[in-house]
Amino acid sequence: MATGIIKNVEVKGIASAVPERLVKNTDYNDVFGEENVSKFINMTGVKTRHVAYDEQCASDLCYVAAKKLMDKLNWEPSSIDALIMITQTPDYATPATACVLQHRLGLKEDCIAFDVNLGCSAYVYGIWLAAAMISTQDLERVLLLVGDTSNFGINQNDSSTAMIFGDGGSATALERSEGKEIKYFLKTKGSGYKAIMVPAGHARSRGRNLTGAFCELAMDGSEVFSFTITDVPRTINSFMSQYNINRDDVDMYVFHQANLFILKQLVRKLKIPIEKVPISIDRYGNTSGESIPVTLVDALGGDESNDRIRLFLCGFGVGLSWGGIYLEIDKSSCLPMIYTSEYFTGDDH
Amino acid sequence: MDIKEKLNILEELLDLEKDSLDTDTVLDEISEWDSIAVISTIAMFDSLFGKEITAREVNGFKTVKDIIDRME
Repeated sequence: MATGIIKNVEVKGIASAVPERLVKNTDYNDVFGEENVSKFINMTGVKTRHVAYDEQCASDLCYVAAKKLMDKLNWEPSSIDALIMITQTPDYATPATACVLQHRLGLKEDCIAFDVNLGCSAYVYGIWLAAAMISTQDLERVLLLVGDTSNFGINQNDSSTAMIFGDGGSATALERSEGKEIKYFLKTKGSGYKAIMVPAGHARSRGRNLTGAFCELAMDGSEVFSFTITDVPRTINSFMSQYNINRDDVDMYVFHQANLFILKQLVRKLKIPIEKVPISIDRYGNTSGESIPVTLVDALGGDESNDRIRLFLCGFGVGLSWGGIYLEIDKSSCLPMIYTSEYFTGDDH
Repeated sequence: MDIKEKLNILEELLDLEKDSLDTDTVLDEISEWDSIAVISTIAMFDSLFGKEITAREVNGFKTVKDIIDRME
């Protein structure tokens, strides 16, 4: 298992922004029938979701979160050495959204900026990547932006995807900090690459007629589910025993908010108390890679105490890709949830 | 566990009336046998029988008997 300890780095702040627009799943009663919608809500737990306006991209949500976070931490734009953007809904096919955001946030030219394409596992991969860059390179501060507007490209008549996703964007500040450390594991099972897929839009589909189902997100829910209740808990348990992390050494387990049924099964399999597992999917939906910071901010945002909190974060899904992070942060490092209708008007394309 | 008990587990899982299923029932003819039922079946095997079964296997079940036979 790809696993290790990254030394002398700490997460200093986390901000999440969601669109102001709130959608209730009961609004779909006319489309799918009241009984089916009710069954869906009971299974997935999703009652409401924040859905991006047509003009609003993941980058816009990340931008708002980053601005607020930089203000709170008093981080000058010139002090940021790298910006990592992880999204599956970038602004353009090219260039990388990170380059546009480096410009919009006013960061210096001596700034590393690039995109990574990951979904449900984005946040744990992002923390690992940003932390490893600080630990092994001569960098002081890295801004990790993770966000998706997953409702873009969803077939509104497909009951398996139309009511599950929420949109959101986050910013996480990582800084060199002597004596602090982050433990991680990362895994990949590419044989399941078709389980969650949007086939169109890139080179593999050139020359094909890009319409209909080919452009929409297709999800094999049952395959993803069986992966989640077998591979995921097995690797979490082996990570915990490798580093001798007991159940009591974790104050809060923050899981990717795939759906409520999956979360309950994970809690059962891992034998962890449900009180230690915050849930945000009921009000925010499945916000893809952004669901861990959304859940953290929902649970801790605005806490001004000086207490520390030990977290285990775990993302799993599209790829198939998954990973876990064990770290300690200040409770006060999470900003309250941000609701925004802002979007970028800087280009006319 | 006898067959009746196994049938009752399946009836509860599918939100059907007690004793409404028999082993010959064809799954595709039950309107409650949908994608959510497949997921619930995987979870049921895991939690009650300690068996990790794949989605492909569940999707390959044709009749109630196919499920019952795996409940051991």
